[in-house]
Amino acid sequence: MSVLVALAVLWEVLVRFKIAEVQFLPAPSEIAAAAQDEILSGEILGRLVHTVGVTALGWGIASVIGMGLGLLLGLSPLAYRYSMTSFEVTRAIPPITFVPAALLIFGFSLKMELVLVIYGGVWPVLINTIGGVRSIPPELRDVGRMLRLSRLETIRKVVLPAALPSVLVGLRLALSLCLVLAIVAEMVGNPAGLGNGLISARQALQPALMFVYVIVAGLLGVALNSTLRTAAKLLLPSNALKELAS
Amino acid sequence: MSTRSLPGLLPLIALLGLWQLLGSPDSPFFPAPSSWWPALFTRGQGAKIVPAVLDTIRTFGLGLFIATILGVTLGILIGVSRQVGRAVGPTFEFARALPPAAIVPVATLLLGFDEPMKVVVVVLAALWPILLNTSSGVQELPPTLLDTARSLRLSRTRTVFRVLLPSVMPAIVLGIRVATPIALVITLLVEYLTAVNGVGALVGEAQRTFQPARVYALIVIAGLISLIVNSLVRSVEDGVSRRRVGDRL
Amino acid sequence: MDNQPRYECRKLRAEVGSRRGEPRRIVLDDVSFAVAPGEFVSIMGRSGVGKTTLLRILAGLHEASAGSAVRFNGEDVSGPPEGVSLVFQDYTSSLLPWRTVAKNVELPLEGRLPIEERRARVAEALEMVGLADRADAQPFELSGGMQQRVQIARALASRPVALLMDEPFGALDALTKADLEDQLLEIFAATGTTVVFVTHDIEEAVYLSDRVLVLDGTPAKIVAEIPVSSPRPRTQMLTRESTEFLEARHRVHEVIFGT
Ligand SMILES: Nc1ncnc2c1ncn2[C@@H]1O[C@H](COP(=O)(O)OP(=O)(O)OP(=O)(O)O)[C@@H](O)[C@H]1O
Ligand SMILES: [Mg+2]
Repeated sequence: MSVLVALAVLWEVLVRFKIAEVQFLPAPSEIAAAAQDEILSGEILGRLVHTVGVTALGWGIASVIGMGLGLLLGLSPLAYRYSMTSFEVTRAIPPITFVPAALLIFGFSLKMELVLVIYGGVWPVLINTIGGVRSIPPELRDVGRMLRLSRLETIRKVVLPAALPSVLVGLRLALSLCLVLAIVAEMVGNPAGLGNGLISARQALQPALMFVYVIVAGLLGVALNSTLRTAAKLLLPSNALKELAS
Repeated sequence: MSTRSLPGLLPLIALLGLWQLLGSPDSPFFPAPSSWWPALFTRGQGAKIVPAVLDTIRTFGLGLFIATILGVTLGILIGVSRQVGRAVGPTFEFARALPPAAIVPVATLLLGFDEPMKVVVVVLAALWPILLNTSSGVQELPPTLLDTARSLRLSRTRTVFRVLLPSVMPAIVLGIRVATPIALVITLLVEYLTAVNGVGALVGEAQRTFQPARVYALIVIAGLISLIVNSLVRSVEDGVSRRRVGDRL
Repeated sequence: MDNQPRYECRKLRAEVGSRRGEPRRIVLDDVSFAVAPGEFVSIMGRSGVGKTTLLRILAGLHEASAGSAVRFNGEDVSGPPEGVSLVFQDYTSSLLPWRTVAKNVELPLEGRLPIEERRARVAEALEMVGLADRADAQPFELSGGMQQRVQIARALASRPVALLMDEPFGALDALTKADLEDQLLEIFAATGTTVVFVTHDIEEAVYLSDRVLVLDGTPAKIVAEIPVSSPRPRTQMLTRESTEFLEARHRVHEVIFGT
């Protein structure tokens, strides 16, 4: 933390005394002033609520789709054999390139933003769910059979808990990706939220305001990450947490 | 791709087939796949494709390369010294969580619309997986390894290059593998947002000029680049891990 | 009761290697034996001879080749039969790490017994293996020997008629091992369950069993059957010094090492 403060002070000094002059680089004090205005006017809050809302909603939907499909593909060798390559190939296409396609199809709308967020978020959840389910040690499956658990019981009591750490990793990756895609969509498509705030500030040549939005976006990223990490801690026994640490 | 994975392509082929049957070439949303390829060359736009692909690959490659050098160096520093790690922790936490898209407008404002700006953004996004994997790789090294180096009275440089780096290699390569798709996505993103060269800029242009078939064709091209680049990195990774197994035998 | 054997294998043949395109290897061929109710039988043989495969067939986890007969209580085995418990060789991967000790032991009873009875059974099983005080621990908080005891408790909780054990004490130190052997003998005496026990330790096989079967050859068959007549109850010191024990140990040694 102290490093952050030191950096800010150094930055302030450099800019204030014109030791380093970069065009359009605001001093931290200017950024703080801009932040104050923006907070008082309620502008930031509105944009923040929009971005968080779309990210969370899209992430939620993507999680349900990803886990459902992932469970199917993980549990059924037949489904896996006859579709996995298609998913691999499709997944390789950078989701960013779908932004223009989504713009053409849905126009500049909330729908377009949401579709993008969902699309991007599905992949990590899907891949990690499949991986989690398929990498369950065969010994554990034998235990299930030996204890004469029914198929449903096996899924509920053995497969799902064993796959949980991997699924949670997927959910966390998905959340970061959903946030990125929401911001991209807001920058180029749906005129709302933090992404749009950034672009508006850029167009109005208000660098201090731009930095405010960058910082808010970063803090939002940190907040979303740590929320999920806390949730994971509550869900998992401590020995499984190591996998999630990175 | 092995023959075992071929049946898995069926749904994709079926989807494209259905699309071909139902879509018309001039649908504003879903033009039939057969119209994609020709759309690359209409209105004399054919000449733009190859330079764009090369541009994208250059930005991506340069960005990933710099991110690797930077990530490995910083990662080792942080891994070796607990103090450094603790001091920069919160800063990194923030920088890592910062959506790369948000950096783009700032970067264009400060650095202008050019190649270095694009590379900087790519580096800032692709750096983290490499840095984090390297530093945790260093932290998880068995302590005996460094003690061995010390008891053999190896010099500092020798310890780093002969002991530390080789043993952290798998972690580094894993980091690079994770960073590869990120670097490519961010390259395309910057190109798209700033309209400065590359495949990303072409897709944006096709979208703004309402050429849906061309958009899809470029999506396919981006997908191909991604498939090729990822499988290259994966084979490097396999090579590294195989060599290590060989070392042990 | 009738004289029907608990387990009966006739002309048993087993193949492994299910990967496509790979020829399936015959591991066991023409294996025939029977296990009487309440008997303790050990199966021995070199590493890779097919002991685990044989046990998995008895457990209903692996299918014997066509033409083999495997019967449990007179019924053909297809899938894990009711009343059979298996203790896996690798305890680290056969306990559910997200469940407490008690919850692991309860797993086979869930949905089959009312809650009070489940609790009672779990307590009883944990009591038998001497882990009553660790019921609420997580598996990873326990030592290897304790984890293996949890697995045994889980196997006992469903009050099995037959207990199959695959080198259950193979990864443990000598002291823990002797402890658990005695505990197993107590449980064996108290419950009257039939035990089929795989091990690569001659002393252990002889100390525990009524009969030791030795597998050998490729494909493997039973090359010797050595009865152990040491009286029960057995104790580590006295039994291991008795002439019956030494004699049986000598014979098993002879069969396995050929001298
Ligand atoms: N799933 C499998 N695929 C291919 N071969 C297998 C498989 N399982 C076992 N085998 C082979 O079958 C043979 C018998 O294996 P098994 O595990 O029954 O031996 P074992 O007597 O239990 O050995 P150990 O004492 O080492 O546990 C071995 O040669 C092994 O290589
Ligand atoms: Mg075995």
